[in-house]
Amino acid sequence: MKALDRVSFDLRKGEVHALVGENGAGKSTLMKILSGVYQADEGTIRYKGNVVSFRDVTESHKAGIGIIYQELNLIPHLSVAANIFIGREPLTQFGALDEKKMNADAAAVLSRLNIRLDPTIILNRLPVSKQQMVEIAKALSLDSEVLIMDEPTSALSEAEIDELFTIIHALRDHGVAIIYISHRLDELKHIVDRISIFRDGHSVSTDDYAAINMDEIVNRMVGRKLENQFPPKVNVPTKEKLLEVRNIVRRGILHDISFDLYRGEILGIAGLMGAGRSELGRAIFGADLIDGGEVAMNGRKLSLKSPSDAIEAGIAYLSENRKEEGLAVKMQLAENITMANVQEISQRFGVLSRNREMEVAQQYVKDLVIKTPSLSQVVNNLSGGNQQKTVVAKWLFCDSKILIFDEPTRGIDVGAKFAIYELMGALARDGRGIIMISSDLPEILGLTDRLVVLHEGSLVATLTTAETTQEEILTYAAGIATAEKGDARMSNQKPTQTRE
Amino acid sequence: MTQLTIKPVKEVSPKTEKTSGRFGSALLNNFEKFLPYVVLIVLIIVFSITATNFFTLRNILSLMLQTSTVTLMGIGVTFAIITGGIDLSIGSLVALTGTVAVMVAIAGVPIWLSWIIGMLTGAFCGLLNGLMVTRLKLPPFIATLGMMLVARGVALTITNAAAYPAPEGFGNLGNGTIFGTGPKFPGIPYPVIIMVAVAFLFHFILSKTRAGRYTYAVGSNEEAARLSGIKISQVKNIAYIISGLLAGLVGIILASRMVTSQPNSASGYELNAIAAAVIGGTSLMGGVGTVGGTVIGSFIIGTLTVGLTMSGANYYVQQIVIGLVVIGAVTFDQFRGRK
Repeated sequence: MKALDRVSFDLRKGEVHALVGENGAGKSTLMKILSGVYQADEGTIRYKGNVVSFRDVTESHKAGIGIIYQELNLIPHLSVAANIFIGREPLTQFGALDEKKMNADAAAVLSRLNIRLDPTIILNRLPVSKQQMVEIAKALSLDSEVLIMDEPTSALSEAEIDELFTIIHALRDHGVAIIYISHRLDELKHIVDRISIFRDGHSVSTDDYAAINMDEIVNRMVGRKLENQFPPKVNVPTKEKLLEVRNIVRRGILHDISFDLYRGEILGIAGLMGAGRSELGRAIFGADLIDGGEVAMNGRKLSLKSPSDAIEAGIAYLSENRKEEGLAVKMQLAENITMANVQEISQRFGVLSRNREMEVAQQYVKDLVIKTPSLSQVVNNLSGGNQQKTVVAKWLFCDSKILIFDEPTRGIDVGAKFAIYELMGALARDGRGIIMISSDLPEILGLTDRLVVLHEGSLVATLTTAETTQEEILTYAAGIATAEKGDARMSNQKPTQTRE
Repeated sequence: MTQLTIKPVKEVSPKTEKTSGRFGSALLNNFEKFLPYVVLIVLIIVFSITATNFFTLRNILSLMLQTSTVTLMGIGVTFAIITGGIDLSIGSLVALTGTVAVMVAIAGVPIWLSWIIGMLTGAFCGLLNGLMVTRLKLPPFIATLGMMLVARGVALTITNAAAYPAPEGFGNLGNGTIFGTGPKFPGIPYPVIIMVAVAFLFHFILSKTRAGRYTYAVGSNEEAARLSGIKISQVKNIAYIISGLLAGLVGIILASRMVTSQPNSASGYELNAIAAAVIGGTSLMGGVGTVGGTVIGSFIIGTLTVGLTMSGANYYVQQIVIGLVVIGAVTFDQFRGRK
């Protein structure tokens, strides 16, 4: 199979050119060819009129092509300036590092981008969003004329995204050509001049962004009509309290948070990056210790000293970092599915039954439609969507009653997202409670029954999904408005049945 | 548990998975798995040709006897390495535990009990290693480096650096044999029997039990394991206890073979044991490794040592060759990781 098959693509000076397509469409491969990581087997690249072929990243850098990968390529223990100038540090006449010049140059680059940041600060003291700004500064300090950005907003909050877009606009106005790769189609309208759509290693089309609508983009990406991004609602929330969270405090991170989750309900947790959404999920799961407050399930108070307590009670947490915290990627699919409940496949003296394990895995592969060549496939080789389903299978095997999904569709392509949404609906329909943490507001609006909004560690609003809008959520999330103080008032609230 | 049934979603994007190259990588995976075995067989064939007495029953038995110590230590340290750690203390623990066993035997403790005390000393030191890693949060390298120095120092202190002769009967464990038929076939040495039994037992524990599964899970992804409810500290403690326990077993075997307390013995053995694990495919990054691989790795080292000696190569050349094998094996490990 060819990763790219006779693909054509052109980029103009001073434009922002979006490149979209599902995972495996060939976007990243093309970017790697443009930046010299891979070489094309056939075909040519013309850059400023000349045919070029970059043998490695250094050559493409020299030519003025900068690339910012989805995963940051920075060194956490070095300063901002050191990161920007790594590999080409200015030297004094004695051959020592010229820190002064380096810091001054870095400050100049940063101010050119309107980024307010001390160049001497150590990188790992900064939030991810600021680190990303450093990455951009680094690419620009190479005098890049072409800048490739791969999913630059995946780790950013709304406010930070605006900041990034301002920078992108400024760059475009300075004549930099930008290739912008993103899964978040809704954000393209703010910045994109032209859009190219890839599918299965082919370039499907290139259009002026103004001349194409969102439905058409999605259709071309998936190659079929996708009427609705979200499945029809199947769960019916009950009035039976499944989880009661009361006055949870984690010093400096979570402030006096209370809310309820009802059986059969999907509850959203919205908020900006750093508002404490994941931290709240982790606190309920016992992954981070809390300083105060309590959590009760079915009216019984839970001890939340470690994840194993929560798991025993029937709570599952699906981390936003699937590969780092959700899966043992070097281990097999079947082994990952049974990981949180190995007792269930153990016989006497802790001896494992491989047959039973395979039966269990087979059942979940079938039920959840996990696409894998075999049950003993190493999880690393599965696609993002199938990895996510593997994590879900792991928790279903523990018979979890409450599943906390933290950014469940991050890095998953459109088609697989739909399957995850359906799965969450079905889980709630079966009487489980779902907590969905997401920075994708359309996703929260499309799936949840109610939602709570966090702002800087406090719960600022509890909303009924059917009665709210993206704008309203954002005003709460940004701290512009407060609906409540996160106190016991919550318990009077009833879940509202939403939608048809 | 409740079964969740989901109807297939109108065939959602069937092309998201790449299917190319899977067969090729499967082949390579298996090649990786079998490479150590192939190397060992090739070595045995080569030495059988270059050294006339190499492939004789007597020599093979002596090779197995010599290799048993590093093999047993290697099996123990494999557990520590799979959790993502390391155990540098096992060489010193061999000396300490052997010394302790001899000293308590001299003090009048029954010999069988002195052996158990020796092994428990190893397990206890392993527990201390584990606690330093899990409670004090020390890097395993540092914790076990410290234990390496302390254990050696204690062994030298309690013996005043002298070799004490062990009482009558202490030597049976290391020097006895079974199934002997007189001078033609002296029998299989006890340490070899012990090695085989331990290898099977710990292979079983690592590959077929919950404890083994948790060992891999912790080494493969500690955070994922923790969030799956696995008690990380417990798993690590057990790994270091196993490492210490087997070092203790080697300690009493060696002391028994020499029938004396040898506070200076087994110096540097920990590195051979780690080398055996690595040659056998254990990844120092954790999460990967098998008991079988370590046994083979240990026999590759043992065969090289004996074979090269019998082929006339001197000790220094052996060091060079074994060093190159370790480098080669780790290079291979790196390529595996890169895929």
